[in-house]
Amino acid sequence: MRRPWIGLVLAAALLVLLDAGLPHVLNPYYLTILTRIGVAVLAAVSLQLINGFTGQFSIGHAGFMAVGAYVSAALSVYLGAGWLVALGAVLPVPLARALYFPVPLVAGGLAAALAGLGVGIPALRLRGDYLAIATLGFGEIIRIAILNVDAVGGARGFSLTSAAQPAADLRYDGLGAIYAVVALSVLVIARLVYSTGGLAFRAVREDETAAESVGVATTRVKVEAFVVSSFFAGVAGALFAHSEGYVHTNSFAFLRSFEIVVFVVLGGLGSISGAILAATVLTAAPEVLRGLGEWRMILYSLLLIVTMILRPQGLMGQRELGPLRWLATRPRQRHAAA
Amino acid sequence: MPLLEIRGLTVRFGGLTAVAGLDFSVEPGALVALIGPNGAGKTTAFNVITGIYAPSSGSVRFDRKEIGGVSPHRICAHGIARTFQNIRLFRSLTALENVRAAVAAAQRSGLRDVVRGPGWSQREQALEERALELLTRLGLERVADTKADALPYGEQRRLEIARALATQPRLLLLDEPAAGMNPSEKEALRGLVARLREEFGVSIVLIDHDVAFVMNLCDRISVLDHGEKIAEGPPEVVRRDPQVIEAYLGNNGESA
Ligand SMILES: Nc1ncnc2c1ncn2[C@@H]1O[C@H](COP(=O)(O)OP(=O)(O)OP(=O)(O)O)[C@@H](O)[C@H]1O
Ligand SMILES: [Mg+2]
Repeated sequence: MRRPWIGLVLAAALLVLLDAGLPHVLNPYYLTILTRIGVAVLAAVSLQLINGFTGQFSIGHAGFMAVGAYVSAALSVYLGAGWLVALGAVLPVPLARALYFPVPLVAGGLAAALAGLGVGIPALRLRGDYLAIATLGFGEIIRIAILNVDAVGGARGFSLTSAAQPAADLRYDGLGAIYAVVALSVLVIARLVYSTGGLAFRAVREDETAAESVGVATTRVKVEAFVVSSFFAGVAGALFAHSEGYVHTNSFAFLRSFEIVVFVVLGGLGSISGAILAATVLTAAPEVLRGLGEWRMILYSLLLIVTMILRPQGLMGQRELGPLRWLATRPRQRHAAA
Repeated sequence: MPLLEIRGLTVRFGGLTAVAGLDFSVEPGALVALIGPNGAGKTTAFNVITGIYAPSSGSVRFDRKEIGGVSPHRICAHGIARTFQNIRLFRSLTALENVRAAVAAAQRSGLRDVVRGPGWSQREQALEERALELLTRLGLERVADTKADALPYGEQRRLEIARALATQPRLLLLDEPAAGMNPSEKEALRGLVARLREEFGVSIVLIDHDVAFVMNLCDRISVLDHGEKIAEGPPEVVRRDPQVIEAYLGNNGESA
């Protein structure tokens, strides 16, 4: 536990190496589920920053994922395909792909962050539930807007294939790389909240008036949390688009936003580990329970109800596990342990 | 030159005038009391000084700068800190985290906390050290890792003071710090308040209901009733002021 990020980086490198071999050992069905878990984890942890740590209530996270998914997909289809082919001509193909794919992820993230700024500034200046209303509205507006843009397929959905560069493979489903992105994103969020400066997020959650009185610029802190949260939702959307190779607005309907809120609440508001756990279990559960036919959704609902009765504060409350727990400890104790 | 100078401050809530034409000032290093019956406008005055409400009219100057209507976090940065009448701690954070949050509020550094370059860990430790020292000086070092809402009442009040001091104020506003305390706790609090002025070199304004509590503690007492200042001066003078006795007896029979 000396330096958890070294472990994380090593794990990521290992996973990237595994990418070459994984498709030969795991059947594509499991790969798809594991990918979706990665995307769900990133969506959940990013929402945790705003809902769990900053105490605001956003219920339109899928809208920001949609922005990330569609902006990154459009970038790849209309520009990226050409770049990828050009890169592939001078570099070995895996290297060209490794260099290219971070670009749509960052672009998707930035686009979503920009959208987050636009929604967040007006909604977060006011106290109360304006953010919930604004994010809910935003999620629906963005979905309907996309349905009416023919350049991204409208109601047909948008396939990541380029007419101009049919040879360019715009799908990227390397599980290792995907998990490396997820792990890095989680690390960024964890370091942000679990630093002395990051206590401002939790101070705002606990008591806005008191936070202001000790010098916390609460509106700025809330907007900051919301923009960072939106950025990583956008990255999650971009990961989703590129791993599936196809996007449709149905993937970003209100139900998806609601599901992410469930991850965060069930995992424990204010616990990154909890969000990871809940996103993983609840994404895997419907698949694991598939054999049960129509009993599946009933069992899924029961699971939710029982958990909320037994643990109203969520699975983890505000506690963390493993390396995240280490990040969350007091600076001096962390130093003493290192 | 007073540190805080309020002139003709009026605060209205709809038709209700909570503070009416108040003049009030605090000299550097002073320890003054603001007393008065329920609803006199004491807390409202604090809320204006700390930016929670804007004045309806009148001026509030701190260190010669007008601060009326400035946002609370900026006022804190100017050097005014406070506690709240109905304790407002960061309840699910530990005592230490409460103070650390205040220590760091003015110097946040999102990106640096993510990248964590050289010196980051030392800086974090130094901030924690400062927070711990404050806890120690307020006798709270044992409960550093206890959640704020698990602390007994008296310790919660002291933690709120520690958190306020963490912002390195020049003026500290204490809103009924003695409320809900038993006589021996009150006595200890009086000692603490006097000590804070000496050790932290901070000017203090203290709200209380009770003249007796502030009697041998403060240099000066200002008495508010129905939003107006009805008396001001050294404690022994204010205590005998007929208007003050009248205000207290006329309201709810609390003795002055
Ligand atoms: N936000 C507000 N909106 C409307 N009225 C308010 C508001 N804040 C205070 N008041 C009113 O202003 C008057 C003064 O209240 P304030 O809280 O300043 O009194 P106080 O002197 O602190 O009394 P106490 O000793 O009970 O704390 C009261 O009548 C109160 O009801
Ligand atoms: Mg009051």
